[in-house]
Amino acid sequence: MNRTAATPFWRIASAGLVLFAVLVLVYLVLPTLVIVPLSFSSDTFLKFPPSGFSTRWYESFAASADYHFAILNSLKIGVPAALVATVFGVMAALAVVRGAMPFRRTLAALVIAPLILPQIVLAIGLFPLMAKVGLVGTYPGIVLAHAVVTMPLVFITVSAALRNYAPTFELAAMTLGAGPWRTFLYVTFPMIRPGVIVGFIFALTFSFDELILAMFLTSPTTRTVPRLLWEQLNFQMTPVIAAATVVMLGATIALLCLAALTGARARRRLAGETKGAGA
Amino acid sequence: MLLAAPLALLALFFVAPLLWVLGQSFAVPAGPLDTYMRIAGDGALRYSLIYTFQTAAIVTVAALVLSYPVAFLISRAQGRWLMIGMVFVLVPFWTSAVIRSYAWLVLLQRRGVVNEMLLALGLIDRPLRLANTDVGTHVAMVQIMLPFMILPLLSAMRGIDLSVLRAAAILGANPWRQFVNVYLPLSMPGVGAGCVLVFISTLGFYITPALLGGSSPMIAVAIEQQVSRLLDWPLASALAAVLLVLTCALFMLYERLNRRLAGAGEAR
Repeated sequence: MNRTAATPFWRIASAGLVLFAVLVLVYLVLPTLVIVPLSFSSDTFLKFPPSGFSTRWYESFAASADYHFAILNSLKIGVPAALVATVFGVMAALAVVRGAMPFRRTLAALVIAPLILPQIVLAIGLFPLMAKVGLVGTYPGIVLAHAVVTMPLVFITVSAALRNYAPTFELAAMTLGAGPWRTFLYVTFPMIRPGVIVGFIFALTFSFDELILAMFLTSPTTRTVPRLLWEQLNFQMTPVIAAATVVMLGATIALLCLAALTGARARRRLAGETKGAGA
Repeated sequence: MLLAAPLALLALFFVAPLLWVLGQSFAVPAGPLDTYMRIAGDGALRYSLIYTFQTAAIVTVAALVLSYPVAFLISRAQGRWLMIGMVFVLVPFWTSAVIRSYAWLVLLQRRGVVNEMLLALGLIDRPLRLANTDVGTHVAMVQIMLPFMILPLLSAMRGIDLSVLRAAAILGANPWRQFVNVYLPLSMPGVGAGCVLVFISTLGFYITPALLGGSSPMIAVAIEQQVSRLLDWPLASALAAVLLVLTCALFMLYERLNRRLAGAGEAR
């Protein structure tokens, strides 16, 4: 654990610790990566190791009308849901972090709760209520449901961004005569922009992956990619699913890289500014 | 008011449905507690509740044991190793549970990757039954829950001042005693937060148990079956209400632990 513990016994112990951690990391990532070689298999059934290489499953994935519609639906649902979640999440974060109100912690807990609560409970309650007003199977129904469960992600990232700098910037702007809207637009928003973008991407990723609400609230015409995958999983196991899965995995990783880059650029900019201020 | 719009959204699409679930579970002609009595009287449902608790406990303990060393090493890593460690944790964290459960099915099924490899190595003569067993499902669930344990542990461990360990070493503590008497107690808020988070998430786990199966359905799977196969909404609502109350109680515990975690961070 540190310099004084350099006896052979403790050296072996710490090597064992590293080995254990590496094995856990392998267990964490390897199972998902096994799908990649399978998706390029030339066999009709999932077989390992694959007997030959082919891109036929990607071709049948690309040719499938079901997947086309599902991908379009996922976009038509994910983008508006993430937008609503972002606008409302930013508002909630501003109110809770900057506002002076009672029960701030309770309010924060309420905003975060939809992320923690098992989605099946929400689905059981939302389905009958939405059925009464005719929202089941429509885009607005699932968009609003996804907005509620992804709002916490935006709330968390934006709250962290707001806590990163002192409220004196906003006070200064207001003292100089800027109204609340102009203060937000010219002072607050530029400061929290990376947090807002990262929150938006997280919300989008979450909506693209969400299954249970989609199972209850979408119809065969509005079904999303996870719901289509799920339905296919329950009656066939061809490598088309593996190909579709790899495509989704690629999209998720691309979105996350974008989020990581946004975060890293913001940190560099912040570091540059504080250095500039110190000089 | 900035809060008005988000609160309206929450009230309509979060609080109202949950109240509806509670209401439905009591609103039966045979008497308000009838559905709960039916759950208590149904052996399979009763077992499903117990099984869900057992599973959540097993998954939480296994995830903690596997996560602790990983989080410890990542919390002390720097530069490239820190980045690699975080990628290994965050990519699975953000990969859809549908995809990861499917991957486990591919690995564990009768002619799956694990069986084929064991057969090829000559370790077994016939394929083992791995999918649809408790062990297989637990292995998959633990893998899916690991990031939920590693991330809170990391945030607690990164706040630990390592000079206290050096102080303990100077006072003659060997690494084991430094760990048990100094490091472990300091990391407890993260352990608590991670355990509660994993326990809550496993209680409501649907995707993996529904796909891989086990000796009994988990509560979330049982709720879905009540609705889609038996169309028994009151019973499904009562089961959901049980899950809701349990989750709420644990969430409050989690909030309290998290607050202590944040408090410790600020005090430093």
